[in-house]
Amino acid sequence: MKAIELSNVNFSYNDKNVLKDINLHIEKGEFTGIIGPNGAGKSTILRIMAGILKNFKGDVRVLNRDIKAIKQKELARVIGFVPQETHFQHNYSVEDIVTMGRYPYLQPFQRFGKDDIEAVEWAIEKSGLDEFRARPVKFISSGERQMVVICRALAQKPEILLLDEPTSHLDIKHQVRIMELLKDLNQNGMTIVVVNHDLNLSSQFCKKLILLHKGSIYKTGTPEMIIDKKIVMDVYGVETEIIIHPQRKTPQIFLK
Amino acid sequence: MNKIILLVFILLFSILLELFIGPGEFGYEIIQLRIYRIMLGIFAGSILAFSGNILQGLFGNPLVEPYTLGSASGAALGASVGIVLFGYANPVFSFAGALMIGIFVFAIARIEGGLLRDRLILSGVVMSFLCSSLVMIIMITGRKELYEILYLLMGYLGIVITPKNRTMIIIIFIISVILILYLYRYYREFDIISTGTESAIALGIDIQRFSIEVFLIVTLLISFVVSIVGAIGFVGLVIPHISRMLFGPKYVNNLAGSLFLGSAFILLADALARSITFYELPTGIITSLIGVPFFIYLYRLK
Amino acid sequence: MVCEKSAHFNEPRIVSLSPAMTEIIFSLGAERYLVGTTTYCDFPDSAKKIYKVGDFSNPSIERIISLKPSLVIVNLPEQSRIKNQLEKYGLKIFVTSPSKIEDIYKEISELGRILKTEKKADSLINYMKENIRPLSRIKKRVYIEICPRPLITIGGTSYLNELIEMAGGENIFSDINKDYPVVNQEEVIMRNPEFIIGLHPEDIENRIGWKDVSAIKNHRVYRDLNQDWILRPGPRLVLGFKQLEKIFE
Repeated sequence: MKAIELSNVNFSYNDKNVLKDINLHIEKGEFTGIIGPNGAGKSTILRIMAGILKNFKGDVRVLNRDIKAIKQKELARVIGFVPQETHFQHNYSVEDIVTMGRYPYLQPFQRFGKDDIEAVEWAIEKSGLDEFRARPVKFISSGERQMVVICRALAQKPEILLLDEPTSHLDIKHQVRIMELLKDLNQNGMTIVVVNHDLNLSSQFCKKLILLHKGSIYKTGTPEMIIDKKIVMDVYGVETEIIIHPQRKTPQIFLK
Repeated sequence: MNKIILLVFILLFSILLELFIGPGEFGYEIIQLRIYRIMLGIFAGSILAFSGNILQGLFGNPLVEPYTLGSASGAALGASVGIVLFGYANPVFSFAGALMIGIFVFAIARIEGGLLRDRLILSGVVMSFLCSSLVMIIMITGRKELYEILYLLMGYLGIVITPKNRTMIIIIFIISVILILYLYRYYREFDIISTGTESAIALGIDIQRFSIEVFLIVTLLISFVVSIVGAIGFVGLVIPHISRMLFGPKYVNNLAGSLFLGSAFILLADALARSITFYELPTGIITSLIGVPFFIYLYRLK
Repeated sequence: MVCEKSAHFNEPRIVSLSPAMTEIIFSLGAERYLVGTTTYCDFPDSAKKIYKVGDFSNPSIERIISLKPSLVIVNLPEQSRIKNQLEKYGLKIFVTSPSKIEDIYKEISELGRILKTEKKADSLINYMKENIRPLSRIKKRVYIEICPRPLITIGGTSYLNELIEMAGGENIFSDINKDYPVVNQEEVIMRNPEFIIGLHPEDIENRIGWKDVSAIKNHRVYRDLNQDWILRPGPRLVLGFKQLEKIFE
């Protein structure tokens, strides 16, 4: 069953054509990476999938339903979205932030139920944030902060998790931690779509890659099919050397 | 727990202060007057602080306050029109003015696509300037009318109450309470919005619709306040910050804090306004005068 | 009070920014010299036809200057800004600013001298003096309300104080040294006026907290006074005085 399907999607912003004739689908349980040069339209596609951008042309289906027909709150029970960077205006505690993830399930003034508590506990445990629960969010490192936002998305208990450049500003330790978490979630059935400009990371963890170039899909396929000298040259204009990862057997890029 | 006790104590103290300060001899009639004053103070203070808190949350901007949306200038404009036409400042005109400007601001902000709430601020500020200019024009046209508009712009709790306007005021009180409770239940939404609009949408909040609803209700509430007691300044801007400092970032706490602190603050300012000089100073002057240094003091404490 | 530059002129060209003074000029029979007035200068009827230079607080300097007046009559303190501007253009100014009834007579006399209608000026002054006489009565305490929100009354420095006194009243706020002070309700109630005069259309009788005030209890609240008769220090002040007289009888 298709988790997300885009058919003939076009999107313009300020008279600029950002996405042209996008046709793609994400199968349930897939771990997909959307890659491409800056400005190719990666974030835009993700936001359309997440229901954040609504004035696109074309057809977008989530779990076989037209996204435009799904109420925002309902969509949030199915899709979790993690933006690239989050600036917290106020100093909530980590736990405060994570519990916000239960919003799609709560009526106004409704107290937290068993399901809600369980979901929050599960999310915190999976993210390894237990010792940080009471910590004010402005007093933790940016790596931990990103983890908190992911954790909040997990509290939504989504079937599909969309992440926009989740590791871009982080050190290796946090990069690995996050990608391993995503791998673990995916192995337990969660559909994952990650926008990432790090080709090597994407190649290592994603089963399928969608390469975007100037607003259109250049190619879709496995990392082996996409991470190719000629393709990288065509799209990025850079000369590279491709080497196979000794353990994972995935193609890795080395700059010439 | 201590903080809640402190809050209640402050409010009670300010109520008592208002009750006992004044030139009048303590008798039934004078007490009646003071009780009305106290009720108006609580009404104005709680709504102004609450609205300021909500708007700061909605716009994600700590400098937004109720009059940013143009309602004070709109009320002044409405009152001025009333003066020109009828010779005195009829509160119905102030109310209509405030409300109409709010709707105007909203209609202008709506024109293009994109994030509505950002344009609301811009539109509000622009309309405020426009109204202020219009009020200026009308102000230099009248002479004693100058006073009326000044007191309207600065805010004033000592209004005369007749049985006629008493009924109106009580109805407005009741409607306001209902509207405040209605908005209060959005505390979770405000928490979420403060972490980013995209996050808010992704978590299931229809920001566009939410902004409109909150904006219109707040405009209504502010119009009530401004038309009855004028535009008491500073409360809507600063009390939310103080409430956040004392009660933390969660809206379920600091909204309640704003309600109490706003009321207490206005009552204290009014008690001061009445004891400083012989004749009435507009309450708004005092709120600004004591508010500013007080806020700076608190801020440095942090 | 006059600030003169040169005493030489042919036909006087007068701009009056004071409705009271406009009425006085008509009484002096010198209306043909009036080339400009404010929109508030509406008495007598023919005054309405005179060219308008603007309203009381913000008349057009340009219009005034374009009339090439030989004299401009201004009110102090309300029009002090205008006075400064006009003086910069070298215009001759006549200031009206009566804080006592006697001041009104002095100004009429001075104006009569300038316009060479001393006889008429004297007769107007006599007319006014005859009709505005201090009456030997027990003064009744009165509160005059010009505006209901906020409460604005008449203070001790206005000529109206004296007028009221002569008519048999005592302004309860004559101790305040302002023309139009803002007061609070409790103060009015404590001073317990026997009479209340309202110069605006809003209700005064039914105010909450005012029930025990003498004027309210005895229904001595008067609202149908002609404002122009009282607030303009001109010939019709006599009518205003008679109104007040009747009230305090």
